Amino acid sequence: MSLRPIHLHHLRQAVASLALAVLAATALVSTTAVGRAAEADADAVALVVDLLGRDDVEFRAIALERVRHGLKGDAATSSVAALLSKLPPPRQIELLGALAERGDKGALPAVTAVLLASQEPAVRVAAVTALGTLGSGTEVAILKRSLATDEPEKAAARRALTALRGADAGKQITEAAKFGEPAMRPIYIDILADRRERTALPDLVAAAVEADANVRSAAMRTLARIGGPEQVASMVQGFLKAAAGGERDAAERAVVSICTQGSQKDAAAEAFLQAFKAAADADRESLLSPLGRIGGPAALAIVDGLIADQDPVKRKMGLTAITRWPDATVTPKLLQLLGASRDAAERDQLLGALIRIAPLPDNKLNDGQKLALLQKTMALCEKNEDRARVLERANAIRIVETLRFVTPYLDDPQLSEAACKSVVELAHHQKLRDPNKAEFVKALDKVIATTKNTELVERANRYKEGKTWERKKG
Amino acid sequence: MPYDAASLDAAFAAVKSYDWGGDAAAFQPIDEAVIATHGDKAARADLEKRLAALLGAGTSRAAKEYICRKLSIIGTAASVPPLAALLADKDNSHMARFALERMPAPEAATALREALATAPDDIKIGLMASLAKRRDAASVPLIAAALKGGPKAAVAAAEALGIIQSPDAVQALASVDVLAGTPVAAAALDASLACAEAFLRQGKRAEAKDIYQSLAKAAEGKPAAKAIALAATRGLVACADSSTAL
Repeated sequence: MSLRPIHLHHLRQAVASLALAVLAATALVSTTAVGRAAEADADAVALVVDLLGRDDVEFRAIALERVRHGLKGDAATSSVAALLSKLPPPRQIELLGALAERGDKGALPAVTAVLLASQEPAVRVAAVTALGTLGSGTEVAILKRSLATDEPEKAAARRALTALRGADAGKQITEAAKFGEPAMRPIYIDILADRRERTALPDLVAAAVEADANVRSAAMRTLARIGGPEQVASMVQGFLKAAAGGERDAAERAVVSICTQGSQKDAAAEAFLQAFKAAADADRESLLSPLGRIGGPAALAIVDGLIADQDPVKRKMGLTAITRWPDATVTPKLLQLLGASRDAAERDQLLGALIRIAPLPDNKLNDGQKLALLQKTMALCEKNEDRARVLERANAIRIVETLRFVTPYLDDPQLSEAACKSVVELAHHQKLRDPNKAEFVKALDKVIATTKNTELVERANRYKEGKTWERKKG
Repeated sequence: MPYDAASLDAAFAAVKSYDWGGDAAAFQPIDEAVIATHGDKAARADLEKRLAALLGAGTSRAAKEYICRKLSIIGTAASVPPLAALLADKDNSHMARFALERMPAPEAATALREALATAPDDIKIGLMASLAKRRDAASVPLIAAALKGGPKAAVAAAEALGIIQSPDAVQALASVDVLAGTPVAAAALDASLACAEAFLRQGKRAEAKDIYQSLAKAAEGKPAAKAIALAATRGLVACADSSTAL
């Protein structure tokens, strides 16, 4: 190993001072075992402090490892942390990380002092991160200040506030979510979600119907993440309070999410149904959209009643709800309605729903039955636009019979592009492609000869060669 | 487990004429007897005697290997002389050591030490390894002497001393210039660090610290010895820190 002169100088200095430290440690004589241990630890701290001041990164690494996992006691933590203010920024970052991993709260005053004194963004991020790991409620105030700064400190503060331990920290963040700066309140609400701070649920329920749209939206998405059936009625109020457009759509997603996902989805869906039944007529109309997306037998009974109503407005509301159904349980009903309807707009709506729903999983139909349903839907289509949608949806049913259903449409000039796309999507799945290679190669050759889409040609060629294809992101 | 004397006789006869490629399944009664005689000193002694007697009876190398494996399990001081007689034989030395290094009898160590005093370097290497395996502190002066011998034996000596880990072994290792850049220097450094780490694990912090300090001193001011300085520093910090896991 060859070292430059500067390194030689430092190494000499390092070994010389180490030898001095060791000699000093050896000279100490104690009379009790406890005394000996204490003195040995003091020597260890002195050695570590000495090493942390070295220019050589490898000697510092020895000390940092000891800070992380050795050197018992508060006194050791304080002695090492006291170095923070004396080190240059890169070394401050190293030591902040090690002190955070050490997990001793005794370092908090020194870490806080660094955050207050340093102007270096990377040092501030390291200090904020350490506060998040070591801190509790006491550190909320200083982290709130960091949260109000720019990136990257802002993001670090958000992570730190999420990581802070203790009920007091959660309580203070909840207070900030309630009474903080209007622009900051949604951020605190999102932090409550990340912390899964369920004690804040009563406050979130109240926030969901506040005047501030940003606060409402944050509260709704947080309730969707950490709420349960008990909060659904309040979320319905939040949904109704949401302004039409983006906020209403997001609120609907939140309500639907809590009622269709997670271990308590059935109870949540039941709570939604009760809230729907208790709502005023005008509100029920708004609630029909999430009702349809949540689905379920009880909801279907309500929707059936509306569709059967003589009032065309109510029928339209019922049809809107059923066309949003989350699974294929309503397909017989949709086929029946389609067969009976003479209204062009209504037929378009029902056909669109069938095309979307037929391949969806419902735990009742197998792939063959789903394909049969889609073929039946194809037969009901009167426009090529709808037929093309059927062909494109078909690739969600990954069986070779789907390939056989789609392939003939490659010869139809009006539908060939949709058929090409579907064949290529089916071929993407190796487990389907490999056992039916001959059929796929024939279909892919036809795709290559037919399509004007260069990406489809490239994909078809790759699949023919047994290669995969990475879907472009975004 | 009782065993059949007639089958055992047949098995011994099979061993006597056995060579590689033969049917080792015929030895099964001997294997069974090794297990069955557990706790029966007289029967064990008889079995040992019969096995040891075959070591010098014109048996093949393959048969000797089998016998040594059995003696490594049941051998006592009584087996040491015939095994010791094989130590200088380059074909059979390693299997004799295999038996002797596992036998609890102190006579086994004595035999290994006596062989070490006169063995050529290529056999000495194995003898030192066997003595190290027995952690035989009494052999340290003999092994230390090999540090100044041929390079291969010197490396083996350093490795053996690093396993024995007695105070004398540490002292002998300290006599090697670990910065010399030779294979024995590298082996001595590794062995010294192994001793220090073992002492630290045993709670003998002062002994560990002495080694680390001497290594730090040796590396002082020498950039080429940075790795040694780092290892010594790491050890010194660990010695001083009472929270070091033992």
